[in-house]
Amino acid sequence: MSDKEEREISRIKEVESTNLARDDIRELVIETKKAVEKDNDLLANRVHRNFLDNNIKSFDIVGAIGAGKTALLEKIAEKLTPKFRMLVICGDITTRVDADRIEQYNSETIQINTGRECALNAYHIHQIIKNKDLQNYDVIFIENVGNLICPSEFVLGTDKRIVVVSITEGEWVVEKHPMLFKMSDIAVINKIDLKERLGTNVEKMIADAKKINPEIEVITTSTKTGENLNKLMELIGF
Amino acid sequence: MKEELNKIEEIIVNTNEIKKSNVQELMEMFFVKLKNRVDNYIGDYPTFIEPVYLEDNVKIGDDVLLGPNVYIGANSEIPDYVEISNTIIFDNVKIGENFKLENCIVAENSSFNFKNLNMKNSVLNGVANSKNELQNIGF
Repeated sequence: MSDKEEREISRIKEVESTNLARDDIRELVIETKKAVEKDNDLLANRVHRNFLDNNIKSFDIVGAIGAGKTALLEKIAEKLTPKFRMLVICGDITTRVDADRIEQYNSETIQINTGRECALNAYHIHQIIKNKDLQNYDVIFIENVGNLICPSEFVLGTDKRIVVVSITEGEWVVEKHPMLFKMSDIAVINKIDLKERLGTNVEKMIADAKKINPEIEVITTSTKTGENLNKLMELIGF
Repeated sequence: MKEELNKIEEIIVNTNEIKKSNVQELMEMFFVKLKNRVDNYIGDYPTFIEPVYLEDNVKIGDDVLLGPNVYIGANSEIPDYVEISNTIIFDNVKIGENFKLENCIVAENSSFNFKNLNMKNSVLNGVANSKNELQNIGF
């Protein structure tokens, strides 16, 4: 067995033992988890205070891979960059494919490659903004790593969180991922142009989102046809 | 980018020059020009906040966070649980596990053979087998 394989097995064992939380370390595991959550919340508050102090509107966009987060950001950048100074922080496991796409629409971008981590956290954002002169921006979007689970663990300190799903993910996608909808302010149901072809029950998706979070604004969009994109711009205050 | 890097390297060779030099200003000028190059390392998917520039043959361990504003010279080794931001590491450097470096410069051929260090605003140089042996000069 190679050194690399041995190290990987040792790492997995370490993770497993943490998850099993043996009696003797259970208290420590729980205390550590609480401390991590508290630290993230404190940092997120500090990030948000920095945004507010600099009159920056800020949004965190979450959703599965392929839901259309980057396509939406391309459309948003196209509409905003002629008038507003926009920064998009893109989270991905690896590559800067999304950042390169969004830069085509004149927004500044910063890529975070999270490697093995499945979501951005407030520390990542804090590390970026402490090295930036925030007076150079009017609006900041954070495109989280593509998935519907991990991002619900970490708030990032933005004005609003937008969750994006597409009708190609099936009509159960909302009810199967309640935490992200509970923690979001706007739900975008994208690729609505495919509704007739796929026969997805979009009304169920809307009802599920409202049932999970009665305060959430739900909107159906298509980045392909442009349907409801102006309405989305209104919802985010532009 | 290379011009600032060469100037910084010249300054840190002479320890008496570090405190009275404009090394902080030079670092900031360097980071403005720093490009992103992270497709050439040896290791398994660390976290990068761009810009991070890795010269060839850089080894990176697990649970490592690099960036923003990090330059790592050729053949350097970054082991597990390391976090580095706003820092220049020259060629052939080996640092220890669980090091956190913020706004630091590590001189060429340095080797720190111990774990756990939290260092800010310093030039680190030489070979050290414990924290007590570490040669660091603040700036």
